[in-house]
Amino acid sequence: MSKRYVMVHDENRCIGCQACSVACRSENGTPEGVTRLQVRVEGPFGDAPHLHFKYNRVSCQQCENAPCVTVCPTGAAYVGEDGLVSIKEDKCVGCMYCVAACPYKVRFINPETKAADKCNFCKDTRLARGEQPACVTVCPTDALTFGDANDPSSEVAKLINTKATYQEKTHLGTKPRVYRIPTKRGGIQS
Amino acid sequence: MNNTWGDMAQYDPVTWNWVIAVYLFMAGLSAGSILIGIGLRWYSKEKALESAILKSAAIISPLAIIIGLACLVFDLTKPFDFWLILVNYNFSSVMSIGVLALLLYSPIGIAYSLIVLRDELSQWQLGFLVPVADALMPMRKAIEVVLFVLAIGVGAYTGFLISAMNAYPLLNTAVLPALFLVSGLSAGAAANAIGALLMFNTHPHDANLSKMHGLELPVMLSELMFLFMLFCALYFKGGAAAAALASITTGVWASVFWVGVVGIGFAIPLLTMLMPSQTRHSKGMMIAVACCSLTGVLALRHFVIYAGQSYIS
Repeated sequence: MSKRYVMVHDENRCIGCQACSVACRSENGTPEGVTRLQVRVEGPFGDAPHLHFKYNRVSCQQCENAPCVTVCPTGAAYVGEDGLVSIKEDKCVGCMYCVAACPYKVRFINPETKAADKCNFCKDTRLARGEQPACVTVCPTDALTFGDANDPSSEVAKLINTKATYQEKTHLGTKPRVYRIPTKRGGIQS
Repeated sequence: MNNTWGDMAQYDPVTWNWVIAVYLFMAGLSAGSILIGIGLRWYSKEKALESAILKSAAIISPLAIIIGLACLVFDLTKPFDFWLILVNYNFSSVMSIGVLALLLYSPIGIAYSLIVLRDELSQWQLGFLVPVADALMPMRKAIEVVLFVLAIGVGAYTGFLISAMNAYPLLNTAVLPALFLVSGLSAGAAANAIGALLMFNTHPHDANLSKMHGLELPVMLSELMFLFMLFCALYFKGGAAAAALASITTGVWASVFWVGVVGIGFAIPLLTMLMPSQTRHSKGMMIAVACCSLTGVLALRHFVIYAGQSYIS
C-alpha cells in the first residue's frame, strides 16, 4: 500500500515557541527573509479572564490535489512516488504561477536559488534517513505528530481516528494533509 | 513587523504585479487588433487593396505581442532559463497551453504582417523581406484563418490563465476569459484607429474605419454586460466571493475601477457618441476617444490583477 504522509498539529499542546520554525530554517538552510514554516499566534479570543490564543501552523499543506502542481507549466512542481508535493529546482523558471495559485500562500521564491520553495516534510534529508521532520523532532510539547496515515497502527492514524480534527480551506477541494486539533482551552500570552 | 514568527513579506497575496497586467493588456490588444483587421477584410468587398485598418493591425499586433512576451520573460525570476518553459509541457497548466498557442501565434502573426505590408516594406528599408512576403502570398487564406483562430485563443487564454486559480473568488469566474476577449477587441479597435489615422492618413470618413467604429458600441456594451455578470455572480455566491465585492467599494483599486475603467474607458467614449457628428468624427476627437478606450482596458487589467489577488477565499 502506498504511503500517505500526514502531519497533525495539536493546537492545545502548541505554545507558539517557534522552535519548529528555527529547526526548519537550520535543517533546510532557508535564507533570511523567507520561511517554510511559521506558527502564528492569533487572538486573544474570548472574554477576560478566560482568554485564549490560537496557534496557527502556516506551512505547505501537502495537498493531495495540489493546485501548484496543476498550474506549473514545466512540471517543476510535482508529486513524488512518496505522494509528497516537491520542487525540481532546475526545472523551475520562476513564473510564480504556483506561488499565486497556492490557496495557503506557503510557496515563495528562494532568493538564493531563484526557484519556488516550500516545506516538503524534510523528505530529502531526515525522511530519507528514516527520521521524523525537524519540526516534529524539536517540538518541546509534542504538539506535532508525523507519519503514514495508511498504516492503521501508526500514531498519526490513531490520532486522526480518535480526535476531532480540521483541515484548512477544504472547500477548495485541495485535500490538505496537515490536520489540526482545535484549541479547547487557553494558552500563554506571546 | 516584529512578530515572533518572522517576516510576513512573502505572504502578500498579490503575487503577480503590474508587469503581468501589462502583459495581459498587450496580449489582448494584439489578438483584438488582428481579429478586427482580419474580420473587416472578410466583410469588405475590396479584397485586392489592403485597408489602412488591416495595415495598422499588421504593425500593432506583432509589436504588442513582442512587448507583452518581453514583459513575461523579464518578470521570471530566472529570465535566462525561459527556454525551459518551451521544452517542458504540462497540459493541465493553462500557462503551458498558452505557451504553445503563443509559439504558433507569434511567427504566424509576423508572417501575415509581411503579406499585408508587402508594398510598404521597401519604403521602410525592409526591402529584403519582399521575396519572403511574395513566397507566403499563395498561403494567405490558410494563414489568415489559422491566425484568426489562434488570436481568439490568445485573447481568451489570458482570462483562463488567471481564472484557473480557485483561491481567488474575483478571478475564479467563468466570464473572465470572455471579458478579456471583448475588452481586447475594444483595445484592438482603438489602436487600429490610431494607427490608421496617424500612420496611413486615413480619412476619418473611410468606409472601413466607419465599419470598425460601428463595432465599438456593441463591443463596449458586451464588456459592460460581462462586468455586471461578474459582480452579480460574486454577490449571489456569498461568502468569500461576496466579500470580494469590496474591491469596487474600498481601496485604491476601487478608484482605478470607477475612474479608469468606468469613467475613462466607458463613460467618455459613450458620451462622445452624443456629440454632433462633425465634432466626433474629427481626427483629433477620434484619437482622443481611442486613447480613452486603451486607458480603460489597461486599467481593467490592473484592477483584475491587483483587486483579484487581494481577496482570497
